[in-house]
Amino acid sequence: MEHAYFKQTQLGPLLETLRLFGELHGPVLSEAGVASFAALDDLGALRLDYGKTRIPPKKYLFPFREELLQYRDGIYRQSPLDPPNIVLFGVHPCDLAAIAYLDRVFLAERPEPAYALRRERLTLVGVSCEPDDFCFCSQPQEGGACDLFLAPRKDGFQLAFAGAKGAALAEAARGLLSEARPEGEMSAPFRAIPAQDPQLRFSDHPLWQKFALTCVSCGACSVCCPTCYCFDLREYPSLDGGGTRLREWDNCLFATHGEVAGANFRASRLDRLRYRFLHKYCGFSPLEGMSSCVGCGRCKEVCPVDIDLRELCGGPDAAAAVPPAPLRPAS
Amino acid sequence: MNRTTFDPHTPFAATLLDRRSLSEDTALFSVLAEPAAVEPLARFLPGQFLQLSVPGAGEIPISPADLPSADGTLQLCVRRVGHVTEHLHRAEIGCKLGVRGPFGVGFPVEEMTGRPVLLLAGGLGIAPLRSLICYLLRQPERFGEITLMYGAKQPQLMLFREELSVLAAQGRLRLYLTVDFAPQQPTGDFSCAVGLLPELLQGFVFDAQRSYVAVCGPPPLYRCLMDELLGAGVAAERILLSLERRMRCGIGRCCHCALGQKLCCIDGPVFRLSELQRIPEAL
Ligand SMILES: Cc1cc2nc3c(=O)[nH]c(=O)nc-3n(C[C@H](O)[C@H](O)[C@H](O)COP(=O)(O)OP(=O)(O)OC[C@H]3O[C@@H](n4cnc5c(N)ncnc54)[C@H](O)[C@@H]3O)c2cc1C
Ligand code: SF4
Ligand code: SF4
Ligand code: FES
Repeated sequence: MEHAYFKQTQLGPLLETLRLFGELHGPVLSEAGVASFAALDDLGALRLDYGKTRIPPKKYLFPFREELLQYRDGIYRQSPLDPPNIVLFGVHPCDLAAIAYLDRVFLAERPEPAYALRRERLTLVGVSCEPDDFCFCSQPQEGGACDLFLAPRKDGFQLAFAGAKGAALAEAARGLLSEARPEGEMSAPFRAIPAQDPQLRFSDHPLWQKFALTCVSCGACSVCCPTCYCFDLREYPSLDGGGTRLREWDNCLFATHGEVAGANFRASRLDRLRYRFLHKYCGFSPLEGMSSCVGCGRCKEVCPVDIDLRELCGGPDAAAAVPPAPLRPAS
Repeated sequence: MNRTTFDPHTPFAATLLDRRSLSEDTALFSVLAEPAAVEPLARFLPGQFLQLSVPGAGEIPISPADLPSADGTLQLCVRRVGHVTEHLHRAEIGCKLGVRGPFGVGFPVEEMTGRPVLLLAGGLGIAPLRSLICYLLRQPERFGEITLMYGAKQPQLMLFREELSVLAAQGRLRLYLTVDFAPQQPTGDFSCAVGLLPELLQGFVFDAQRSYVAVCGPPPLYRCLMDELLGAGVAAERILLSLERRMRCGIGRCCHCALGQKLCCIDGPVFRLSELQRIPEAL
């Protein structure tokens, strides 16, 4: 990992340089005041002071709906996919940790071709954050699994880069940078909640019953979670005899999630909340024993009935227990 | 878990060769997979499953009812219960299908070598167990005595009963059949006991200390059989259950098939009872 410094006034030129590596996207505010990641056609729209986006950056790697296969005359083939190169600017450390987690899910074993291609063409530029009322990783973080990371300093930014992509970005921006010594420890959170004891899902904590009674199964907590990735596969025939198979986001809070012909393996809301607890804080095979909650706080913020499953975790302050992991390249 | 070298995301092409009706809603489908699939299919172990695609309808998990043949022909016993299975039952002979797999963990046949095997099948649970029977019968000298106890709702729903009776008559298999109820059994038809599988098991004397027991059936069946088997002295490590869950991807990603922290598609579908004892959601 290497460091450099650039002045606040060079931010615009730096962003223009990043455009050389792909479509530039970053946090913007909608008319309704909701932050989202979107194309930065106009650099003036960039809001580096954003709290968090409603929809996490997973949408760039794992779109809500993706065509995976096509069939014609009954023969299935991979759908052609040619996503643009995208430079995603201004990603907070928790969202970077979430992408690192999704990488393990989709790339570690039997890499999924569509995800792998989108990932290859995504350049990540992280930026440090200010905690808000909902998020809960241990402290404001400076770093993460990305190609380039920016931490505000006096009149400018300290910039860290890692890996081949990071080096290429820094090289292209060389004229804008000056030498810098690393100031402070650049580190990244990995899990805001340490792995929990799976037996906690059967604890007699009264909140389990309360949550099961109040949850409306809207699924917002899962849609907004940067590490939620349950998906469904759907087939759509077309009129000419061919058709497509799509991958779509699914949601573990929906009653259909565990349904089969003639039975439902998670028929009650309590069953489904327990499932969510397990997946978020305990991990499913092959990531058993790994928490996937990065502490962004989105689930709590969007829940219409204020459910926060974290209240069911063991230990006084779960977040304090995780040592920060060092900055590392994204791939 | 077998290492797979093929692309696990894209189905191989396959052709529907034949359909033989077994009961009102269940049929045995012969499906010929394309030559490229022969090698991965040759690694199939009884209890593993395939993802069967019906173009235009979707994809479903199916445990083959026999070992794939050398040319890649599959025997799939499928009950018509919904969207995809309905399309399959209506498909014309010769039409194109797709197969991915085999996936998951099958029966530990290596470990079962030299041991008596008791198979307990309820209803359609006979399908995956039939591939285990085929495997065992191909090398009868390798395994101990094979016993099948098979329960169905009524005599007409008893699948494969002729072929099973023939195997029993040849002395290759000890066979016990039972039906929940028998409306009117025409004389001359095959006979079987009336009652539930656990009752049948109660009076059964077998070498519980050495036997492996393989169970497949509807969820309530597992709950009533486990106490009987443990009570008879079968170790939980030797009780093998083939479980069903909703499955979409088949490769441990979509997360529909979770039971506790395990994923049925990669950690199962065949589990040992000892693995499941800490997972209340499993049975
Ligand atoms: C490991 C395994 C092996 C199986 N082996 C056999 C077999 O040999 N023969 C047989 O007839 N059936 C078998 N099944 C059950 C079979 O997969 C379902 O009956 C089938 O998926 C129903 O699909 P459908 O579209 O016709 O039903 P629908 O009810 O219309 O299905 C609705 C949706 O739910 C899904 N779904 C419904 N039931 C199941 C289910 N049980 N598992 C996964 N997804 C489901 C379907 O894919 C579909 O998208 C097996 C299931 C598993 C998990
Ligand atoms: S569980 Fe909630 S706080 Fe944790 S990563 Fe998901 S949305 Fe963020
Ligand atoms: S956001 Fe709240 S109400 Fe909606 S599904 Fe999640 S926990 Fe239930
Ligand atoms: S079927 Fe997708 S994870 Fe098991």
